[in-house]
Amino acid sequence: MFPANPDCGNLFDEMDWSKTPLGAREDWSVELKTLTNVMLGSLQPMLIVWGPQQITLYNDGYAAMCGHRHPAAFGRSFRALWHDIWDAVEPIITAAYEGRGTSMDDIEFTMHRNGYPEETHFAFSYTPVRDPWGTVLGMFCACTEITAQVMVRRAERTQRERFRQVFELSPGGIAMLVGPNHVFDYANEDYYTMIGVGRDIIGKTVAEAVTEVVRQGFIDILDNVYRTGESFIARDLPIQLNRGPDGEMQRRLIDLVYQPMRQEDGAINGILVQARDVTDLRAEEASRELLSHELGHRLKNQLAMVQAIASQTLRNAPDIASARQRLSERLAVLSAAHDTILEGGRGTSTVRQLVQQMTDLHDDPAAPRFATSGPNLKIGSRPSLSLSLILHELATNAVKHGALSVPTGSVDLRWRVVLPEADRFEMIWTERGGPTVAEPLVKGSGSRLISAGLNGTSDGHVDMIYAPDGLRCIVTADLESFQKEH
Amino acid sequence: MPDHPRSSPVLVVEDDGLIRMDLADLLSDMGLAVIEAGNADQALKVMDTLPAISALLTDIDMPGSMNGIELAHLTATRHPTCPLVIISGRYNPADGTLPDGAVFLSKPISEQMLKRTLTAMKLMTGDSE
Repeated sequence: MFPANPDCGNLFDEMDWSKTPLGAREDWSVELKTLTNVMLGSLQPMLIVWGPQQITLYNDGYAAMCGHRHPAAFGRSFRALWHDIWDAVEPIITAAYEGRGTSMDDIEFTMHRNGYPEETHFAFSYTPVRDPWGTVLGMFCACTEITAQVMVRRAERTQRERFRQVFELSPGGIAMLVGPNHVFDYANEDYYTMIGVGRDIIGKTVAEAVTEVVRQGFIDILDNVYRTGESFIARDLPIQLNRGPDGEMQRRLIDLVYQPMRQEDGAINGILVQARDVTDLRAEEASRELLSHELGHRLKNQLAMVQAIASQTLRNAPDIASARQRLSERLAVLSAAHDTILEGGRGTSTVRQLVQQMTDLHDDPAAPRFATSGPNLKIGSRPSLSLSLILHELATNAVKHGALSVPTGSVDLRWRVVLPEADRFEMIWTERGGPTVAEPLVKGSGSRLISAGLNGTSDGHVDMIYAPDGLRCIVTADLESFQKEH
Repeated sequence: MPDHPRSSPVLVVEDDGLIRMDLADLLSDMGLAVIEAGNADQALKVMDTLPAISALLTDIDMPGSMNGIELAHLTATRHPTCPLVIISGRYNPADGTLPDGAVFLSKPISEQMLKRTLTAMKLMTGDSE
């Protein structure tokens, strides 16, 4: 009776051993008798391979590893049991029979013990058993299947690898420092990108690996976190890092977090570093802020311009009805000039576009009164608003009092870059065929708006020449400032 | 009885011709003598030729060798008692710090604010409001 191994104990008891190479049990050597007793009394899986035919005896624990080969394998040859992995088993059983034991912590077998290929892992020791004269009688093996433990370890490894990938893929630099001297244990790609790609830091202290941060006080901060256990969190921290292609220093802004890491007993044994290079981000924010500031500034200036136009219109108007009409015309002209700026983007308005807008409004395509000519000159956005207004006022005046007030009158409008220096813009408006011209005693709002000149230009002049045969207006300005975008 | 306008003119420095013209009209309507300049460099020339100005009203952002704030500082150094009014769409500290006693007015300018400011500077009386 073997209560620890009822199954194999039963087989052992019922088998007719006299018909096996081992012979009748009562004739067995004392060694075999003792070992079978030990084996069938043990809860640990055990195996005995005995005699030159390598007859195999095992207990219930080992039977579990044999799968469906048990019970047929009991009392048969060892090779018959493990024929499918004999290449791996044969060398160690042979070594045991030659007197050399083998011990292995983890050996992997693919077994078919349950009818399908199965990865298994064993820790075992094959021990040769000798008679008192030293002859090897067989092999005794105490073994443990460690497949379950190996799988747990593997799952842990997979988990670790997954965590490593999380660190690797997370946006932002991550590094782990160990010990009181802050030795780099790990750093992800973003961390390297931040401090300078290709720097050799793992296994080195921060002070050795990133020497430039020492004088910037970062080691003191790390020491403090390690000593007190209090995290350090900073945003927009200026830092100098030798991160250039040739290791040259660059100034960066980073968001930085140092957090203490603790071992099982709660003592601090390292620091987790999380850092994000926010230099570009902050620069973008600053430029956005600048842009919105600039837009606000422009808007205020435009309002001031509208205010001036409105006030000039009202100041010189004969009555409210005509003031309202003139004001809305002037604002419409400004609006059209703005469209020209907005349509093509900044810096794409041309003098021709502005002249075209004026003739669209004041000329008749069926019977043209305007002759225009000039190069396709670019004009800055500030002067473009003024030039539109000047053209509009000249045309309005011509329709009311000048050449366009009679059917025979015409306007010649030409503009050019003044040669030979080519550093000045000039536009000449000449009226012909209209009523005789005399200089008005009181300047209307139109004349005053014209005399305000080209906004944004330097050395700009507007000359009104009240020649008897037709009004002339000469607008000139420094070309560079005329074309400049403000 | 309103005070008589000072005999020295108010100097208006503004590169936008329309805004300058309108501001000059506004000041003239208030009974002040006005002289205009399109930028700080012109303004300095004007000041060199005049015995005195009664106040400086200047824009900030203008072409030329200096902006309006620098012009105001220079004027404060030369004429410590000259009232200074800075007029701009928005005050940006990057342009410089205003001189002591200078008044900032936002564009577009409010006629009422301008009158109040000039009254406080004793360039005109407040009863015209």
